[in-house]
Amino acid sequence: MARGELSRSLRQALEALRSFSRPQCHRIARYPPRSFRSSTTRCMSTSVPRRAELVDETPEKFAAAPPIDFAQEDGKGSGNGAGAGKPVGKKTLRTLRVVPASPSYFSAKPTFTDDFINLCALLRKVATLPTVPPSEAPKVAWKTVDQYRIMTNEPVKTQRFHKMIHILRRLNCIHPSLIPDEVVQAMQRYKKPNQPGDIKPNPGVIDELGRAKGVGQRKTSSAVAWVVEGEGEVLVNGKSLAQFFGRLHDRESAVWALKATQRLDKYNVWALTTGGGVTGQAEALTLAVAKALLVHEPALKPALRRAGCITRDPRKVERKKPGHVKARKMPTWVKR
Amino acid sequence: MSSSQCLRSFFQLSLDRAAHQSIASRSLLTTPQTACFSISASRCGPPPRKGMIAPPKRGERTLNVKKGKGARAQDTSKRPAPGERKAQRKRIVLSNNNALEVPTLQDLSKETVLKQENEGQVKGLPEAVVDALRAVEAFKPTQGWRLFRRPAILMRRQTMQLVELVKQVEDAGKGAAKQTLRRVLVGERLCGKSTLLLQALTVGFLRDWVVINLPDAQDITNAHTEYAPLPGSQPTMYTQDTYTANLLSQIATANGPVLEKFQVTTKPSLPVPIPSKCNLKQLAELAIANPEASWPIFVALWNELSQPGRPPIMLGVDNVAHMMKDSDYLSADIKPIHSHDLAIVRHFVDHLSGKTALRNGGIVLAATSGSNSPTIPGLDHSIQVAEARKLDPENVPQWNPYKKVDQRVVDCLKDIEVVRITGLSKEEARTVIEYYAASGMLRAQVTDPFVTEKWSLAGMGNIGYLERAAVRERI
Repeated sequence: MARGELSRSLRQALEALRSFSRPQCHRIARYPPRSFRSSTTRCMSTSVPRRAELVDETPEKFAAAPPIDFAQEDGKGSGNGAGAGKPVGKKTLRTLRVVPASPSYFSAKPTFTDDFINLCALLRKVATLPTVPPSEAPKVAWKTVDQYRIMTNEPVKTQRFHKMIHILRRLNCIHPSLIPDEVVQAMQRYKKPNQPGDIKPNPGVIDELGRAKGVGQRKTSSAVAWVVEGEGEVLVNGKSLAQFFGRLHDRESAVWALKATQRLDKYNVWALTTGGGVTGQAEALTLAVAKALLVHEPALKPALRRAGCITRDPRKVERKKPGHVKARKMPTWVKR
Repeated sequence: MSSSQCLRSFFQLSLDRAAHQSIASRSLLTTPQTACFSISASRCGPPPRKGMIAPPKRGERTLNVKKGKGARAQDTSKRPAPGERKAQRKRIVLSNNNALEVPTLQDLSKETVLKQENEGQVKGLPEAVVDALRAVEAFKPTQGWRLFRRPAILMRRQTMQLVELVKQVEDAGKGAAKQTLRRVLVGERLCGKSTLLLQALTVGFLRDWVVINLPDAQDITNAHTEYAPLPGSQPTMYTQDTYTANLLSQIATANGPVLEKFQVTTKPSLPVPIPSKCNLKQLAELAIANPEASWPIFVALWNELSQPGRPPIMLGVDNVAHMMKDSDYLSADIKPIHSHDLAIVRHFVDHLSGKTALRNGGIVLAATSGSNSPTIPGLDHSIQVAEARKLDPENVPQWNPYKKVDQRVVDCLKDIEVVRITGLSKEEARTVIEYYAASGMLRAQVTDPFVTEKWSLAGMGNIGYLERAAVRERI
């Protein structure tokens, strides 16, 4: 090879490099317009997808780079003597450098970083929209950090995730009537599949005889109560309140929903109760009567909640374990 | 094993091993005999020194003379005298000095007691009637008399029913045909059955009837008093002398003013001499001195009261279920005696069943009890039948023929009538709660919601629970 030839070919190569700064594909294809749905941001992942991810989440869309047309690349340089006689595309292949779609590809947590940056950008964009106080914002169940880790397959730190959740909560506080569609779309990614308030119980009905039914449970007892308008008569399992409950405290518990709201002289109760003991049955009746009363007067719900007639007490007897005397009690320690 | 012997055996072992290697594994001596080398002498040690005695065995009693916390507290309090606890349990307190006098409370009297206007009002009991009721043991320790200044009763709907009966008997008494009315008082627990009986007795005392009350049938049948077969009775009846004597003294004390008016007209043949010009009270009091003659005296008194021109009789018994079963007494051949074979019970049951009528008219009342009463299927069935008959005479429940029933019980309650005691109405509840408030035992404003709340919590106006909720168990 003559001396002049070498210098010429070097010059050509430099030229070629200058003309294809990203030689493997077109620029447009390499950098697709960023949308705030960051589903297209992840082009390549070198890690093996986990099973849990495949089961739980739909994997994000993988956008492959467009194919490189080697013939076209080489045709440009066919006039040169340097490329003649060599296998096609070798030169281009040599000059090829794969650049990932996301600039944070080489960071430890590219997806999370992208998500975070996107949300920050979105918040900057909508920061001026009017907001409602957090207590009035719609209730949203965000994904937990574990769920997010499984979705992204990245070891996201809890603290950083919480920073992201803060941004999401701020976005959620935008006034519901003015919230842009893209914010709604962006928040969708971070919500749990089931939101609170998704399942709504059927509203209670007062039947043609004026009865409203309520069901309550406590410990191992359960109770059904039918409440009608009346003068304060109570029958439990066909017996009067005094006959059925020996203790005054239990009698008061059974009709506490009516007593706490000063409705004892306005309704009659007919109830059935089974299972458990006396106190459990009385307190199951509390809930049952309260639920039936709510059908008649739904506005009483806050008052009944304050009286403690709405919340089901979930405690039950703890099971006995082997090696223990009771649920937790251990046998007495003996030296020998 | 001494130490020299040990050493020898050890040597023997090592020699044997060297000699017979093949049988070494089977030789008994291969078992290590390390115990031989123990030179500890636990058994040969000196006896324990004084002051180092082992702690007492578990469960052994030791003398504890320590002072302070470790010492067992000695109970030095005085034990109650025999019978003192029972007396306290049975004591009847009829007044409470801390309760306020209710200014609007009016006493019942002979004239006003039969008036219809009393319905739904709280009325006081006159002193004489209180003494008489106390004498016949109509007040019960479980009732709330001790909470108020003096005894008062609520004239409820069922009371007026009984007052109507009294009126009926008195009206019939003016004509020739005397009337005997028989009723069983039933109702749920604490609904005021014994109190209603007391109210009936009150009316009897006020109207100058002769009132005979058996305070608790259990006392007759639980074999706590002596008994003896009645000579010449067929089938054998049994008399209870002490109980009868006590009953006669109660009758004499409670009905003294009425009995004093009448002289003995028949010539009873009694084992004790009768004073001449003897009135009925003196006749009854004879039994106090001569309990062994108490049953003939009771019969004589009853004959006297059955003579024409004598006042009507009110017979009452509480806890009647106890006299509807076998008593705890045993006959001579070690068989349980049926309660109806006891003379007093037989006397009462004959009148309750209508077998014997009261010659001068009267009322026989039997109250059941919600607590401390045995289950008598025949009694329960008879009450059901009586209630069903009142509603619809055609359609009465039949006894299951495959089940055993005490036929004597069913027969004696065959055509009885029942007074069912229900809860108070709201107006009655309001009256009685106002009385509690006026007595100062209830410190609350008596408003309609308050009354309804207590009424509901008391199981729709059960007066016992109403009193408990309003007065006894107040916070």
